[in-house]
Amino acid sequence: MTSTQKKDEIGDFSMNFGPAHPGSGNFGVKVQMQGERVLKATADPGYLHRGFEKLMEYREPMQNAVLSDRVCVLEPLQWNLVHAEAVDYLMNYDVPERAKYIRVILAELSRIQSHFIWYAVMSLGTGFMTGFNVSMGYRDYILDVFNLITGGRVYPAGYICPGGVRKDLPEKAENKILKLLPKIDYMRKFILKENPAWLARFKDVGVLSKEEAIKFGATGPVLRGSGVGADVRRDDPYEVYDELEFDIPVRDEGDGYARYCVGIQEIEESMKIITQAIDRLPKGEVRTPNLKPIVQFRKAKGEIYIRNELSRGEGAFYMVANGEKTPYRVKIRGPSFSHMIPILEYLLTGVDYADVPAIYWSLYQCPADVDR
Amino acid sequence: MFLQFIGAYTSALQMLIGEMMKMKLGIISEVFKNLFKRPMTVLFPEERIEIPERNRGEHKFDIDTCISCGSCAKICPNKAIKMVEAPPEFKEKYPKTYPQVDLGKCCFCALCEDICPKGSLTLTTYVFLATFDKDTTMRNPINVEQID
Amino acid sequence: MSTTEQKNKKTSNEERLIEKLSSKLNIPVNLQKERRFWAIIDHSKIVETCLTAYEMGFEHLSTISVTDWLEEGKFELAYHLWSYEHKVLLTLKTKIDRKKPKVSSINSIWGTNAETCERECHEMFGVIFDGNPNLTPLFLEDWQGPPPFLKDFNWREYVRKETYDQKNPREETYFEVKK
Repeated sequence: MTSTQKKDEIGDFSMNFGPAHPGSGNFGVKVQMQGERVLKATADPGYLHRGFEKLMEYREPMQNAVLSDRVCVLEPLQWNLVHAEAVDYLMNYDVPERAKYIRVILAELSRIQSHFIWYAVMSLGTGFMTGFNVSMGYRDYILDVFNLITGGRVYPAGYICPGGVRKDLPEKAENKILKLLPKIDYMRKFILKENPAWLARFKDVGVLSKEEAIKFGATGPVLRGSGVGADVRRDDPYEVYDELEFDIPVRDEGDGYARYCVGIQEIEESMKIITQAIDRLPKGEVRTPNLKPIVQFRKAKGEIYIRNELSRGEGAFYMVANGEKTPYRVKIRGPSFSHMIPILEYLLTGVDYADVPAIYWSLYQCPADVDR
Repeated sequence: MFLQFIGAYTSALQMLIGEMMKMKLGIISEVFKNLFKRPMTVLFPEERIEIPERNRGEHKFDIDTCISCGSCAKICPNKAIKMVEAPPEFKEKYPKTYPQVDLGKCCFCALCEDICPKGSLTLTTYVFLATFDKDTTMRNPINVEQID
Repeated sequence: MSTTEQKNKKTSNEERLIEKLSSKLNIPVNLQKERRFWAIIDHSKIVETCLTAYEMGFEHLSTISVTDWLEEGKFELAYHLWSYEHKVLLTLKTKIDRKKPKVSSINSIWGTNAETCERECHEMFGVIFDGNPNLTPLFLEDWQGPPPFLKDFNWREYVRKETYDQKNPREETYFEVKK
């Protein structure tokens, strides 16, 4: 009896999980421990705060398009799309049909590569290096296509810009994307293989119930892993998503494994969307006619809240224009903001320390869009 | 007692083999397949990956077509482009101001290429720009050393 | 034909929802575009309005944003609520005095999610949320200056004083003010 009392006295201490790359990304969690058990967790964001909301007040929309890549390193094309849609609405741009399809194709490719990274970092967090290496390797095939189309492997530099896209698809790009799909499918099947070590780490860990998920503002795979079938692409369709057929995978368990399964099933749905979009890709302009690189933003007046389904969940831009050259106010809602601060703190309370990385990575975090 | 121990040991082994059969050797077969595959990487200096035409790399500036409008300096999001005068020995031939690019500030967005009305400032596919000296990142409109 | 019928049905649905919302919240609710509603409310009624909206199905607090209207001398707070049931975004806007920026917290409805959003608003704009126990710094560490996202905060001056490297000619261009 005395020995257990002593153990508790020694066991009370606090320590840091992160910030170290790639162990936790640029994000830290301060945990108060009792022995092996976490008593209280406090998220410690801010290592990637670059103040985009303020920066965008000093730049013109085309420059902001370049800046919007940097909101999240892992899904720059989708952030490009959110920003472009906000400016499109304020400027009343009629985006050509072909540009809309190109936007959707690239956004879905970006979603797939982001899910690959998710699998990679989940493997890394639980000590499965093979998964990390294979997944990052297959991701590079997608990055090669990005390099071909946008001119940059990771950062497209505002390829999806206000009014359309900056350049038309190069020759044979469609063939390249179609050739890429079998490789993605191979990787998907590799991920799908049941791994007992994986199950042991993620099953019944970090359970988030349906009501809690809604209350804490969860979106994306985290919400769908908890049994809510909500997807912005379906509920609040943008671009051409209402013309395309795809399913929304939902799991009821709400644990880390369910979230991951939802993500893996989404890869298949994204592949469906890409094949349909390439089939229907019309010919024509890719940019609003007569649009110069400088957007005449003085004409814009009003405000808009644009929501998009990013790979991590709901990403949104709130943009206010009052007839100046630059936006008056920009507010960016990163999907990881609610995942990484309220939900992570809630889920980490009372778990074993060994489960911390498993829960942390199963929430599909991106520190860059928490801090912005 | 020794026999008992052996019995327990073999039953444990049987359970382990049973578990392994249930795993269907999913990931392990992948490991053996990879033994006979070509590596995903290349041996860099000898072998190089082909860089696509659109890749945004170092700037190329054609001074003869430039009209000194300065729109590249205006649109640059990082203020990496500055309009400077030509060196004194070329001032007679090129009297206006021309863009000087600081690659240390450049984010390679290619907005300057898009906005250039005459197409004199373009981005090449050359990407091997790492340097040990910060002062070498400046790209002047007239490269004096090259002309000599 | 069928698509136009669908559209008509949708618009009539939206109109009905607007009427219902207006009568329940006791304020006029306006339609901005498809699936985007907005309403202006008084800042003293924020908690009860949010609670009524929550009970009507607007369960997802997307974010809270603050706009600094310097000439008017007001902060505009916008609460973006999404309804999974009606598939509509409701933006509740309220204006508070810039000199006494105080508004009650909605953490009784959305818990720590709302608290975190409010923490960010407090840090970036200095808005005080009454009833929020955790208004500690979120992103900025050891920040001594005024709230950085205010429109009258001259960040160029601040950086020049604090961190500008006078000897580095490459930094000069960032401090040239043209306005």
